[in-house]
Amino acid sequence: MKRFLSSVTDGSGFDIGLVLLPLAFLFVMSGLPLVYNVVMSFQEVDMFSLGSFARPFVGLKNYIDLFSQPETRPILLNTAIFVSASIAGQFLIGFGLALFFWVNFPGASWLRGLFLVSWVMPGLVVGAIWNWILSGDFGVLNFLLRETGAISGNIFWRSDPNYSLWAVIIANIWLGTSFNMILLSVGLSGIPKDLYEAAELDGANAFQRFWTITLPMMRSTIGAIIALGLIFTLQQFDLFAAITSGGPNNTSNVTQYWAWDLSFRQYDFAKGATISVIMIVFVMFASVVYVRSTRHEVRG
Amino acid sequence: MGISRYAMLGAFALASLSLPAFSASAEDVTISVWSLDRDIQPAPNLINDFNKLNTGIKVEYRQIQFDDVVSEAMRAYSTGQAPDIIAVDNPEHALFSSRGAFLDLTDMISKSSVVKPENYFPGPLASVTWDGKFYGIPKATNTIALYYNKDMFKAKGLDPSKPPQTWDELVKAARKLTDPAANVYGLTFSAKANEEGTFQFLPWAQMAGGGYDAINSDGAVKALDIWKTLIDEKLASPDTLTRGQWDSTGTFNSGNAAMAISGPWELDRMIQEAKFDWGVALLPVPEVGAERSSAMGDFNWAVFASTEHPVEAFKVLEYFVSQDNRMFKDFGQLPARSDIAIPPTGEPLKDAALKVFLEQLKYAKPRGPHPEWPKISKAIQDAIQAALTGQLSSKEALDQAAEKIKAVLG
Repeated sequence: MKRFLSSVTDGSGFDIGLVLLPLAFLFVMSGLPLVYNVVMSFQEVDMFSLGSFARPFVGLKNYIDLFSQPETRPILLNTAIFVSASIAGQFLIGFGLALFFWVNFPGASWLRGLFLVSWVMPGLVVGAIWNWILSGDFGVLNFLLRETGAISGNIFWRSDPNYSLWAVIIANIWLGTSFNMILLSVGLSGIPKDLYEAAELDGANAFQRFWTITLPMMRSTIGAIIALGLIFTLQQFDLFAAITSGGPNNTSNVTQYWAWDLSFRQYDFAKGATISVIMIVFVMFASVVYVRSTRHEVRG
Repeated sequence: MGISRYAMLGAFALASLSLPAFSASAEDVTISVWSLDRDIQPAPNLINDFNKLNTGIKVEYRQIQFDDVVSEAMRAYSTGQAPDIIAVDNPEHALFSSRGAFLDLTDMISKSSVVKPENYFPGPLASVTWDGKFYGIPKATNTIALYYNKDMFKAKGLDPSKPPQTWDELVKAARKLTDPAANVYGLTFSAKANEEGTFQFLPWAQMAGGGYDAINSDGAVKALDIWKTLIDEKLASPDTLTRGQWDSTGTFNSGNAAMAISGPWELDRMIQEAKFDWGVALLPVPEVGAERSSAMGDFNWAVFASTEHPVEAFKVLEYFVSQDNRMFKDFGQLPARSDIAIPPTGEPLKDAALKVFLEQLKYAKPRGPHPEWPKISKAIQDAIQAALTGQLSSKEALDQAAEKIKAVLG
């Protein structure tokens, strides 16, 4: 008993305690709801059975029903487009900006800080502002495009099925770019300067230096940022609620918005949970990538 | 530091000791009421007044947000924490009454000298009815009608005293009034993919003999075709598909649309913002002499079946009903009753408009009532949007909706 006590106060027991505490916290706050959600996706749930756990199990019925709905496939496709286009846009622009500020001209760090303002803004506020920018008749974006001669008639970003998803993607790229930029800036500043000096002495040009030093040295940062990007874009809900509400006719609907719509607008909680389970699979995948790419950061 | 902490503790102890002393005496019955009314709206004010009467019933109020009403109520009811009285949006009423979550008030209403069913407009009354019994009392009501800009009518050679009566006249007027060079659309309304879209479309279907249970009837298809004409010919902004009623009527107020379909909740803002002469007309009908119809909005009172004090809860509702004549004067809401005259406001435009809305209310029909209304509504929204974006023809879209609704109706 005494040995156990002393191990708790000073020894491996203490270490285990330190690990158990957050684990218990994680299990209660994230694990249980997750399991509950998965269980719910196999049950028949309605509003009045929400409070109890003992609900009839229906096997895979929710999944089969979901995939037999005509809107499921387009919505999954929309999600794929939304996620990949958003991540690509956020990453490329963010990387470009990070490299730009890395040059370290006067005021660079100050300007870089200002870029973070977009990340601090609540999604609903960003959504409301983009809602005005993208408005068909009086939108600023249409005005700019028209004045520069890029378009002749107004584009109805929010209401034209060909553009509605892209309207949200544009807003989301704007929202997420600065976060990408900051993380990539941190990664860039972690690359030892002597590598570049050596390469320069050996006669490597800027492009070669970027390709053979910057990119390989940034691999883990890039992996982490893309995994985080996947998680963040799959979470993106506010912009859909504020700009298109998933319309018109589901052309800008994505799984995360749909899950909410099913659960809290149509009160079909089981289907909402089913969609969430499908999303969990994708997020798990992203988490594995994230953990793998940041694993080497644990030192000593 | 130490002292102030002790002082705080002491204050806490005192407060917790003295709290019961200040609250109501033991024999008082406490009734809890949930609604979405803010401090300038009816519920909290009526409750304050009621509590001052010292009837031996003490009412506690809790405000809930519009989006949370149903989910909060569900959660509370399924865990046994439901309030005694709640205000729910009328299309959600059947969800609760069909499952026995609301108390059947039929007997109490028949004995009541205050609540008389014959005093109510038929639409609101139908929304609290399930299986021939009353599961609630209409709290307030609203409907939609056609706003039109009289100055623009004059400018385009239309008679401002003769607003469009039929669908064809509406489309013709919209064609005349639309002026892309001046950024003016003929008409603005909402076909948004939420309850607002259903709210606006259903009256059109009903006027032509359709309805939620006959959504692919010829009349409903014709109605959707008219909507499609309005969008395709750019007589209404393509953003109609993603804009709610409040925003779309905003474009009417700013002079960018010559007509608007919306409800009386627009009146105050319109009087402030609209710098032109305007009027309100009944919703145009398919052809002269056709049946009229309109949408019906706003909330109903209901008593949860789990209440321990049904008699006292009903007394509270009777008090609310007895104050219905204050609804408009004090809170700007229309009582759901045909026996209460709306007093003149001294604002001629508003008074004229209210007269039309009261007339329109006679034809207002509830959405449903059906316990799975949100699913029915979703099918209708999808059909509207599929047709208006040109992905399906009106007939195909409504056939699809009818199929989905049939599955819900069983």
